[in-house]
Amino acid sequence: MNIEASKESAAMVVTVTGRLDAVTFSGYEQKINALIAEGETKFVIDLEKLEYISSAGLRALLATAKRIKAKSGQILLANISGPVKEVFDLSGFGTIFQLYDSVESALEIVAG
Amino acid sequence: MIKIKQLSKKFGALVVLKDISIEIKAGEVISIIGPSGTGKSTFLRCINLLDQPSGGSIQIDGVNILDPKTDVPKIRQKMNMVFQSFNLFAHLSVMDNLTLGPIKLQKKSIKDAEQKSMELLRLVGLAEKANNFPDELSGGQKQRVAIARCMAMEPEIILFDEPTSALDPTMVSEVLAVIRRLAKEGMTMLIVTHEMDFARDVSNRVLYMDEGGIYEDGPPERIFVNPQREKTKAFINRIRNLNYHIASPDYDLYAMNAEIELFCEKQVLPVKMRQNLLLVVEEMLQLYNPLLSTISLDITIAYSEKKESLELVFDSLGEEVNLFEQNELPDEFGLNIIKNLAENIEYQRLNNTNRLSLILKKHEK
Repeated sequence: MNIEASKESAAMVVTVTGRLDAVTFSGYEQKINALIAEGETKFVIDLEKLEYISSAGLRALLATAKRIKAKSGQILLANISGPVKEVFDLSGFGTIFQLYDSVESALEIVAG
Repeated sequence: MIKIKQLSKKFGALVVLKDISIEIKAGEVISIIGPSGTGKSTFLRCINLLDQPSGGSIQIDGVNILDPKTDVPKIRQKMNMVFQSFNLFAHLSVMDNLTLGPIKLQKKSIKDAEQKSMELLRLVGLAEKANNFPDELSGGQKQRVAIARCMAMEPEIILFDEPTSALDPTMVSEVLAVIRRLAKEGMTMLIVTHEMDFARDVSNRVLYMDEGGIYEDGPPERIFVNPQREKTKAFINRIRNLNYHIASPDYDLYAMNAEIELFCEKQVLPVKMRQNLLLVVEEMLQLYNPLLSTISLDITIAYSEKKESLELVFDSLGEEVNLFEQNELPDEFGLNIIKNLAENIEYQRLNNTNRLSLILKKHEK
């Protein structure tokens, strides 16, 4: 798994590439926690290049979302498709988050 | 064509073959399968007397080749053998490898022998290599030359002793293609092989060898799909099953995934099925995770080609516990994934073993 974070005007865009599973979920959490510790509160998570997600990955998304919301922050998920979307649907996770078709549309919501 | 009665072979006190009786008809393509050490190669070598049987009789076209009065070299010319290690003459060119037998043993003219050999080299796709030496050829090319050399003696029967076992996987198909062609042309063949898909595809009869003899004998659709006897079933299941043992919570998920992917590739499973399988296995392991520091887990993934289904079985020793009825999960995500991708989810308590089994739902094509 690879994580890249870039600061856009409205939020921190975090691009996750590869797998978010029982092995890699902690790396995702550490990255987000580090950004929260730096004072970031608004996040758009770009999952376009995510190839695989399991419940461990979903749990990591949820855990970091709770931390962000505890700081009165916002977290939006963008570009869910293919096998990742299927896992969201199968697990019931899709109803927990608002999902956006693109990073741009998510950033508009954050900026709004 | 070949009648074998009560064939036996011992090496000192070691009984390798005992009481084998079988008839082989012209045109039959027979694959011989079974675990290592069950006498498959010895059986072939006894048929063409590379190993002298300890007992019994072998008749080829009515002639008992074990009778001391029999002209064995003449009878043996009816049969030829292709070996795992090719056994080409390194000091002779490809053409000379092929023409040696016909010239020396069949007294053919050099011209006739070379003409026939070129036809055979064209048959196996190696006409351009006629003047090369064996060490200039790849493994697959050497084996094809070996087959052509066999054919040059115009045998009635060809025995193949694991013809692809010494080959790089990339070269296996070129050799199997030649054998398939011979089968189509009606050559009688006995093939000891570990290539199960090939055996199933090319043979009209399969012998499963075990316990020193022919344990089960039948058409490939029966032996591979519906074996009747226990050891045949266990052997066929082993090649259709993946077994994986997890001994601690620090298991290597990616190493396990690599084995699962290899298994899926061997079974030629669709991509979607593989993806679902990997996900369900990971989710099941997440359910077991809290227990893995105290128990070990045996996973069996079994593919049924007939039903196009994958069954997963998770066995663990210990106190009675059905993980699907545990209420201590942090959330429902993993369970939801499993329940949506699998069906026939069952828990059984078998002696001291907790068994969870499930079948992957068929995906839409």
